[in-house]
Amino acid sequence: MKKSFLKLTALMLVLSLALAACGGGDKKTSKSSDGGNKSGSQDGGTLTYAMEAEFKGILDVNFYDSQSDSEILTFNTDPLITFDENIKAQPNIAKWETKDNKVFKFTFEKGVKWHNGDELVVDDWIFALETIASIGPDHQRWSNVNTIEGAKEFNEGKADSISGLKKINDYEIEITFDKARANNLENIWQYPLNRKHFADLKGNKNIDDWLASDQVRVNPIGTGPFKIQKVIPGESVELVRFNDYWKGKPKLDKVVVKVIDGSLIVGELENGGVDMSAFHPSLLPEIQKLKNVKIEEVPGLSYYYIGFKLGTFKDGKVVMDKDKYANKQLRQALLYAIDREEWVKEFFSGLGNPVNRPMPSAHWIAADNSELPVNYTYDPEKAKQLLDEAGYKDVDGDGFREDPNGKKFEINFAHYDTGNPTYEARAKAITQYWEEVGIKSKLTMTEVNLYYDQIEKDHETMEAFYGGWGTGADPDPWALWGDDTVWNYPRWVNEEANELLKQAVDVEVVGTDQEKRKNLYVEWQKIFNEEVPALPIMELNDVYAISNKVQGVKITPVGTEDMHKWSIKQ
Amino acid sequence: MLKYTLRRVLAMIPMLFLISIIVFSLAKLMPGDSLGGEIDPANTDPEYIEQMREKLGYNDPIYEQYFRWITNFVQGDFGKSTRYKIPANEIIMERLPNTIFLSLTSLIITYVLALAMGIYSGRKPYTLGDNTIAAANYIGLALPSFVAGVFAIYIFSFHLGWFPSNGSVDISVTEGTFEYWLSRFHHVLLPAFVLGLLNTASYTQFLRNDIIENSRKDYVRTARAKGTSESKIYNVHIFRNSVIPLVTFLGFDIVNLVGGAIITETIFTYPGIGQLFLTSVTNRDYSVLMTLTMMFSVLTLFGNLVADILYGIVDPRIRLD
Repeated sequence: MKKSFLKLTALMLVLSLALAACGGGDKKTSKSSDGGNKSGSQDGGTLTYAMEAEFKGILDVNFYDSQSDSEILTFNTDPLITFDENIKAQPNIAKWETKDNKVFKFTFEKGVKWHNGDELVVDDWIFALETIASIGPDHQRWSNVNTIEGAKEFNEGKADSISGLKKINDYEIEITFDKARANNLENIWQYPLNRKHFADLKGNKNIDDWLASDQVRVNPIGTGPFKIQKVIPGESVELVRFNDYWKGKPKLDKVVVKVIDGSLIVGELENGGVDMSAFHPSLLPEIQKLKNVKIEEVPGLSYYYIGFKLGTFKDGKVVMDKDKYANKQLRQALLYAIDREEWVKEFFSGLGNPVNRPMPSAHWIAADNSELPVNYTYDPEKAKQLLDEAGYKDVDGDGFREDPNGKKFEINFAHYDTGNPTYEARAKAITQYWEEVGIKSKLTMTEVNLYYDQIEKDHETMEAFYGGWGTGADPDPWALWGDDTVWNYPRWVNEEANELLKQAVDVEVVGTDQEKRKNLYVEWQKIFNEEVPALPIMELNDVYAISNKVQGVKITPVGTEDMHKWSIKQ
Repeated sequence: MLKYTLRRVLAMIPMLFLISIIVFSLAKLMPGDSLGGEIDPANTDPEYIEQMREKLGYNDPIYEQYFRWITNFVQGDFGKSTRYKIPANEIIMERLPNTIFLSLTSLIITYVLALAMGIYSGRKPYTLGDNTIAAANYIGLALPSFVAGVFAIYIFSFHLGWFPSNGSVDISVTEGTFEYWLSRFHHVLLPAFVLGLLNTASYTQFLRNDIIENSRKDYVRTARAKGTSESKIYNVHIFRNSVIPLVTFLGFDIVNLVGGAIITETIFTYPGIGQLFLTSVTNRDYSVLMTLTMMFSVLTLFGNLVADILYGIVDPRIRLD
């Protein structure tokens, strides 16, 4: 009896250990830049691509929901529309035309083949859209489909088909949305689903049946340059060349995507067990030492910020009702006080750049630094001056500033904890910068799950916090900074800024003019830059280590590209 | 003995029940849930997340969630993994063969090495050989498996290139062929050795000490006086007695066999139960987490029972009733 309790205690200990070691951490999205040289390419060979996160095994793009699965899917799936390095939509398999941003006509390339030999036609796209619509809110992508006219009626069973989808012929389709929006194109679900492959599931409204099907897990198909040949759950996926790929026969014979523990990446790259992998910035110095590996750095689509709780989220509305950080000059001073160049160099191996707006530079709507009203640099004198002006002065002579009413002022700065020892050091550095200009600061490290929970619920211990966001193809920052969204963590409301965001997606205002839309977003960034409800800290670049043997690799902020042109020297 | 066994099995039921309450509450008390980590404003709709929380019942009080879970659980419905989107038992069955293969290999390595070294050391105590083995054993005992694992990878995979550092098999070989099994064996050897290190060390010392102790006993003196050969004394008389305690360890090894090695599997990126358990905790994949915990608990209790019964069988002096 005694022994069994011992074993159970051990089990509990393991539970807590697992907690401490748990992941999460830096939220990350995509990748960029043109890499590799184009000479001496050669056919054949196997490329081994490593990733740290275990894939879930949902290997059909219409159902996946994780970054790790999508890394495999980029090899076997080709989207209808792609996004260039400025995240602007570009035709790929499909071209589009629209006059009013409500009705779109899409034209497919002819001769695009599925891995099972079928030709891709617009019916496959209709099949995908109808499948998502019939599953409805249980499907993650419902919000990418429910803007099509008649999708809701179809979901409720009031119609046999989606009225907004009109097939003209095998290669042309007209899609009508329920109303004109500036971002209808970016929002629509852009992947077809093979009708024959999924014939037995047609019309099934239970998403679990789709997710558990062999077509999704064991023998998934797509239209991309490589087809999935074999899946070993949780471990590796073998993809072989698809000879009928519509952009040309891929050069590589095979791609093996493998899950390996983060601690093994450097060693495996060195001894050639892995040819390519994304890696964490902290590994940079070690990887630079390897002679057989080159490093590709591309601007990322994520940015990091320090937010201040300016209010709370009540009944679906953001209300600014907290005043500790309400003073604009205080927030500006806190940004001037941080030496971000040095900080990025120290904690991210220099793989990032300070930004002065909540938008990664790669994005086409990003405002240029010269357009922004305030260009924040490391300037402690300026910070002190601003604090003096705002009335934050040291009145009791303890070396730290008091608030304008003469009361003690202390920033409670919070940072998430994932067990990564560098996080505490980098957060501590921020508080030290603030203390240098006379603002007393205290650091709290909080377990990452609890951390985001507390931020979301406006817990009283959260007042200044570190966070990061990735941006997607649709540039609209409403989900993060609007006045009715829970992800507006700083709880910032600015009527003028919100008006700009609303106008930028309003077709009445912008029509189909992208330049006009961009200008509105630039105006919005100007307000943000001046107000700094959250201090934009930096954008992080994505880095890949690629073996010298591999050639022709192209990576953009949205991911790897043109895999059919990649080759490997034997 | 049948009565005893039945009594023990019946006593397991309330115990498992209590364990399930505690583990379930602890799991639910962990901050965050399985949906928190998936928040990505570019791709997910807050409404979708809220809807899923409601659908999965995460907003209900813990006791309601517990009763719902236990009702399904006793009826054989272990729930669906929120991460892998398939039933928890399916994902566990997918990984279980890997873990059993790893543990069995490790067990064989452990017993072969422990018997060989233990018998040698027990027979020739306080010699150079014995001391060398003892030194190696104490290093093995002192070395945590995560350190041993990292060193093993560094030396045998990266430096010497003898073994692969990750995975359970080379994906390019055809399943079922001789190469396939060779590749699996090649992949499992290094983690199995690391996993068996601790047990090897303790079993060796255990056997050695037992042999030394037995060799001073009266029945050995009698055998010597009768003129029995030294090798027969050690290999038959002493060995049979000394191996008894080791046999009883088999009961506990059952648990290790399936419980896997959380740390070893993670370091070697070996997709087994241990690694699955860790990801289920970090992802708050409650159904997988609870099913695994219950499985470990049943096996622990069962292993104890087997150990106790084995005591009775190998040593009739121990009475079970």
